[in-house]
Amino acid sequence: MASRLAGVKELYENRIRRAEDLRLSGSKIIGYLCCFPPIELMTAIDLVPCRITGDIKEQVTRGDAYLETLMCPYIRSCFDLAVKGKYDFLDGLVVPHSCDSVQRIYDIWKYYAKPAYSHFIDVPHMTHTASIEFFKRELERFKQSLERYAQKEISPENLVQAIHLHNENRALLRELYRFRRHNPPLLSGVEATQILIAGMTLPAREYHELLKSIIPEVAARKELPGEEKPRILIYGSEIDDTGFIELIEQCGADIVMDDLCTGTRQFWHDVELGDDPLEALACHYLMKIPCPRTYKPRTGTHAEDLENRFGYLKEYATEFKVEGVILYIIRFCDTHGFDVPDVKDYFEAMGLPILYLEEDYAITAPERLRTQVRTFIDLIG
Amino acid sequence: MGSLEEPTSATKSLECAKKVRPLVKEMYARAHEAKKQGRPVAYCMVMSQYDEILRAMDVTPIWTENYGGLCATKRDADRFLAKADAEGYSMFLCSYATTGIGFDALRRELEEIPADAPDGGMAEPDMLLGSSAMCDPRYKWYQALGRYKDTPIYNIDVVIPPVDAELGEIRDYYIKYQVEEIKGLVAFLEKATKKKMDWERLNEIIDLSEETNRLWRECHQLRKAIPCPMPAEDHFRTFVPGRFWLGTQEARDFYREMRDELKYRVENKIGVVPQEKYRLLWGGGLPPWHTMKLFNYFGALGAVFVRETAYIPYESVDIPPLVTHPLERLAYRAFGHFTYRYEGSRKGCGNPHVQLILDWLDEYKADGVVMHQVMTCRATTIGQTHHRQLIQKYVKLPVMFLESDIVDVRTYSEEQTRRQIDTFLELVDSYKTANGC
Repeated sequence: MASRLAGVKELYENRIRRAEDLRLSGSKIIGYLCCFPPIELMTAIDLVPCRITGDIKEQVTRGDAYLETLMCPYIRSCFDLAVKGKYDFLDGLVVPHSCDSVQRIYDIWKYYAKPAYSHFIDVPHMTHTASIEFFKRELERFKQSLERYAQKEISPENLVQAIHLHNENRALLRELYRFRRHNPPLLSGVEATQILIAGMTLPAREYHELLKSIIPEVAARKELPGEEKPRILIYGSEIDDTGFIELIEQCGADIVMDDLCTGTRQFWHDVELGDDPLEALACHYLMKIPCPRTYKPRTGTHAEDLENRFGYLKEYATEFKVEGVILYIIRFCDTHGFDVPDVKDYFEAMGLPILYLEEDYAITAPERLRTQVRTFIDLIG
Repeated sequence: MGSLEEPTSATKSLECAKKVRPLVKEMYARAHEAKKQGRPVAYCMVMSQYDEILRAMDVTPIWTENYGGLCATKRDADRFLAKADAEGYSMFLCSYATTGIGFDALRRELEEIPADAPDGGMAEPDMLLGSSAMCDPRYKWYQALGRYKDTPIYNIDVVIPPVDAELGEIRDYYIKYQVEEIKGLVAFLEKATKKKMDWERLNEIIDLSEETNRLWRECHQLRKAIPCPMPAEDHFRTFVPGRFWLGTQEARDFYREMRDELKYRVENKIGVVPQEKYRLLWGGGLPPWHTMKLFNYFGALGAVFVRETAYIPYESVDIPPLVTHPLERLAYRAFGHFTYRYEGSRKGCGNPHVQLILDWLDEYKADGVVMHQVMTCRATTIGQTHHRQLIQKYVKLPVMFLESDIVDVRTYSEEQTRRQIDTFLELVDSYKTANGC
């Protein structure tokens, strides 16, 4: 039987073509940035949410004519692909107010890429009770906007069903991640990245079937021998290409866990359904995604504040037997940048060595990177 | 890079502009005095919609972004930036913030205010009041300060609606949220200061602010005159009362006096330069505080900035007559200020910022636009390239990008910038000729 994971690799590499095919077969594809738009609302109305990614291997060229160089290079790359026509298959665009760069790209993207449908979701930065109420109203507006576009209503039943489906996908991803607790891990960092990135462009039901089919294949690897290597957690924002992960793993380490917008931040917690599905979504997307763009009010001393903000990282490190941390920060990212010293403090207090990399969303000097990573791995090993 | 021995500040035209420097010194002195007397002092961010709240609660504000600018004008930011670097903060983060963080990190290390800090340094705050108004560093900065002080923080959301939203659909819940956010701040302040808010007093202070903003707007209207009576170098100084003293008699009196001075200059045709050859608009970005004398360089070549899009007064907005509670007034003002151009721009170029520039180019008879691409400020820089394209779609005028930073001079070249300005003004000249002016 053909390996499902090999199929995932192919899917990852050809994900745009796959999305284009979906569109040709009649699906409506809605592109979105970041992990803040509630994809459940799109699924509930039979629209396919498709996370917009950049291309680390492709130089920004046309985008330079419209965008400044001192902004998030990841968003520049996404936009560059859009103005080059690579996202022409998208029927619409959804942009959340996640950070300054993402917020400001919305109007520019609309102007130059001219999506047929577009919507901006204002995500509060605070987490007060009133913030959740406000966000719920914003999601209500988003829901109405999707309904106008699709010319049908999102029934409460359909929304609840979509939430359940996405929760099941989250649970399957967590199950897959648990295989990374083994030493050596049963799922490599490269494979995990391929699964996640490929999945972000698939209809939820299809992704569900894919994840279910992969799990037994990964579980069967328990019987295979393997070499134990330094175990790394990678912290940062967007890694939507296996290049950097592969580089680290080729240097002799295993990436066993992440705290990334393209990784655990999307699925580590379920949407907790109550009486009101929109409120559940508002609570989830505002309170459960540990992106530094969402402010957690200070509690007590600095040490207590760090525990409140980063306590989940200790759980990750313990559960996944992490031995070292790579902070991969994309240049010009204010929200992550201001957290770097605090995150470093926190990991160092746990006795974990750290490699801090501030990069331009490009692997322009792989040898330099390799040297840095190898030196770091030697330090752990 | 300019020599440290040379002055970096611009020469001022207005007598009023010359009175601002003492006001800045006074701000920092008042904070030190308040601290000495045991009165509450707060670190604050501009445009956070709480200026009047602080005045009504007798909290002395320290506008920490201003301190970054002040250190830049004194060319005394390097030691703070270097300290922030050493602490692990990237040089590409907001340099107002890294200056402030560097200052507080040094204060913590030295256990006192760093020696000879500009204007005596920032007094130790009793509270940190951040906000999400305009950009991300405004709430991340104070969170980061937790490494150096256990000072209580209260961050509020200041929400700015998306440009394509139907305002009628969103107005109520945007305003409601804004009210709740400010209300949360009031509760925090009441607890911190052990003092109840006097709502009547707050209403009076808001009245005073409205009068201040009205006078300030009047000042800018007078700049339409030819020759222009006041340049950008004065604007970027005289915004201080409007942004850092809002809600005080001093601010209101300042703009009344400035309005009168401007009227006199207009009536007597007193311009900024002997021969006003080019009228320019500052169309984006914050100014290069480290080298404000650049504006005089423009002036020496006959160019005067007649209007700026940065640090502008609050617009006059219609507030329903039934709205009388001061928190609602503040929330309506914020919503109105941020959105008043939305609907108008839909009938024009579609972009409120660019529409403002297009309107002003016409109203102020400007010949070109200058924007500043600020290395460490995403909020005011992203979109400038797009704005230039949009402007030039509607008018045949040159647009120039200055490239530097608000504080950091490490990548700045003054000679190169002057050459750029020379070239730009030649271009302005040729456009004027081509346009038959």
